[in-house]
Amino acid sequence: MSTAVETHELSKRYRRVSALTECTVTVPEGRVSALVGPNGAGKTTLLRILAGLASPTGGTACVLGGAPRQDPAFLAEIGFLAQEIPLYGRFTAEDHIRIGAHMNPRWDSALARTRLAELRIPLDQRVGTLSGGQRAQVALALTLAKRPRLLLLDEPVAALDPLARRNFLATLASGMADAEGGLTVVLSSHLITDLERVCDHIVLLTGSRVQLCGDIEALLAEHKILVGPRKDTAPIERTHRVVQTAATPRQSTLLVRLSGPVVDPAYQAEDVTLEELVLAYMGAGEASAGRHLTTVGEGS
Amino acid sequence: MTWLVWRQYRAQGAIAVALLAAAAAVILADGLQIASHWHTILVTCAGNSTCLQQQGPLVNGVVSDLPYISLIVPVVLGMLWGAPLVGHELETRTSEFAWTQSVTRTRWLTVKVGWLLLAAAVCLGVITTLITWWAGPGNARFASAFEPGHFDTQGIVPIGYAVFAMALGIAAGTVARRTLPAIAVVLGGFIGLRLVISDFLRQHYMAAVTKYYSVTGSFTPRGQAWVLAQGAVSRTGRVVATGWGDLYPALPASCQKLLPGTPGAKSGASLDAVFSCMRAHGWRGFVTYQPASRYWPFQGIETGIYVLLAAALVAVTFVIIRTRDA
Amino acid sequence: MISFRVNGRSGVPPYLQIVQQVRQALRMGVLDVGDQLPTVREVVAAVAVNPNTVLKAYRDLEREGLVEARAGHGTFVRKRPPGPPPGTHSRLGRSLARWVREARGAGLDDESMESLLRVTLRAADAADSNSEESA
Repeated sequence: MSTAVETHELSKRYRRVSALTECTVTVPEGRVSALVGPNGAGKTTLLRILAGLASPTGGTACVLGGAPRQDPAFLAEIGFLAQEIPLYGRFTAEDHIRIGAHMNPRWDSALARTRLAELRIPLDQRVGTLSGGQRAQVALALTLAKRPRLLLLDEPVAALDPLARRNFLATLASGMADAEGGLTVVLSSHLITDLERVCDHIVLLTGSRVQLCGDIEALLAEHKILVGPRKDTAPIERTHRVVQTAATPRQSTLLVRLSGPVVDPAYQAEDVTLEELVLAYMGAGEASAGRHLTTVGEGS
Repeated sequence: MTWLVWRQYRAQGAIAVALLAAAAAVILADGLQIASHWHTILVTCAGNSTCLQQQGPLVNGVVSDLPYISLIVPVVLGMLWGAPLVGHELETRTSEFAWTQSVTRTRWLTVKVGWLLLAAAVCLGVITTLITWWAGPGNARFASAFEPGHFDTQGIVPIGYAVFAMALGIAAGTVARRTLPAIAVVLGGFIGLRLVISDFLRQHYMAAVTKYYSVTGSFTPRGQAWVLAQGAVSRTGRVVATGWGDLYPALPASCQKLLPGTPGAKSGASLDAVFSCMRAHGWRGFVTYQPASRYWPFQGIETGIYVLLAAALVAVTFVIIRTRDA
Repeated sequence: MISFRVNGRSGVPPYLQIVQQVRQALRMGVLDVGDQLPTVREVVAAVAVNPNTVLKAYRDLEREGLVEARAGHGTFVRKRPPGPPPGTHSRLGRSLARWVREARGAGLDDESMESLLRVTLRAADAADSNSEESA
């Protein structure tokens, strides 16, 4: 099974600020990967480096088998949707479809037109006068019509209302169904519950570093919440990795990453939700400056 | 990519063609009138120079400023086409849309810059052809083609100006990532460079010719030459006067006495006596000029300078676009 | 035709929710033998889930023998899920009543009993899927 995205110790440093620090990430082909993290964590920077719009200051990035480069064949395989949804405001959606046909070797105009018709988005209205949700859908339709192998979406649903968000994700999922496994998506967002429906892989960044990277199902299976009476947690900490601890005078609640079965019968093990997992790692990442790099096996 | 450029600029192109056609109509109408007037004068005066001098002006009023189109259009194109070419796209980030559409940055820039530079050159080519034709009679009458104000607005240099102004706008927009600062740079840079070149550099493209002649005679460079300086030199070769105004105070006392109207002068004296006196003192007249034969070489050199600067600016633009983060 | 609902916050993985909804629809008669299940694309467009989720659910149903995929045509219902043998409900109901009496006697209220039942069901599901994978 091949990887769509592979970075190794990737760093991006501006004059005084580090946007990415030694990030090692693997996204297998066919996944929909959620890129999560607080504002300023480095999500946009990572996506732009993968799309070839920025270059790293350290480490390497490997996208679809090669470094991002100025090569029409490579550029044809990548679809990128920036947060600002840049389109030519004076042109209509139909104009954009024709521009795409002229500028891309593989282009499916019918696909774009069908999608927009399904969403009842007018093709002959200037894109600058459409609503935020409609513009996002136009941009997504154009990106999918390019038939890329990798889609990089930077907070595409950030400014959308719930209905527009749902439509966007449905369109994205339809695009994946049409591509029959040939499409990999990396999608950055704040809204974890939205992502849970569509994503099966997660990359979590805080403070320019990678905290989590792996298949969601495997990560959830590897983590448990242990609830038990308040007592010394050192034995647990020796065997497993404790991500987060909450304690009352009577009770301890630990979120752990298991390295084997939990032997102590005093603890009750409960499943973790994705949201709990993400929040715990985000909190842990901000608290400590150390590196918490985990890559879970991508076997499937 | 060419299709995209066409689609982005077809409205502006149509306006440009319409404006060009209108300008051409005006220049043609006026030029034909001037040409026929000039023809009449030539026939009437039949080579008599006094008759020629007594004729009224060929060109009247506002229309006499027509040649300035050759200077205004380059800077306007630089501001309206050059500055936003890259600057506006970077500002609105539509460049990112284009750069993620299977088109490399190099190709994107090459096609945009190529077509727009060509369009600007063609515009000025049309304008300068018309203006050069229009100014023909005036140049012939006053031998003024090589002079500042005429040299800049005719021939091929306006094409060089247009290409430079465009390149300046493109480069400024690329560096600033915005249109407005680039517009300011075009305006300031174009005016500044033109001042430097036309006022200081142009006369030095080739070493000027200095001709000495007897003060009792006269000398005018043949054809449409560019006179840089003229006046009188003393026996030692020192320049003593560069115009009528400072000639008389510089005269030796013995010659000054001979001036008509000076107390003590002989009655009935004429300027000839003054000049003979000057010659007796070893004074000579001089003219420093660029010969008319150098007109086209100078046109070529100046156009070359502007085009080379434009090429450098375009090269810088390419380097920045290719290596800088989007 | 069946329409699916996926609840992101229910704690049950989306693919399992789809499997359960198909089984329930078969039990209640909403789906009959020979009916076609919605295509992956239809489900995904309506419910906004990862297509792999739907594929996994349909594969699970196929493994249970409830549906079959006909190449090029879609996925069709093959048979109903096996119901409990007659008398099972009443037998199980009586043992449940005995358990409720015992639990009330120990001091559990209705809410604690329900929560205990939920936890036990989930643990049983997890144990089932673990044993399926190793089978």
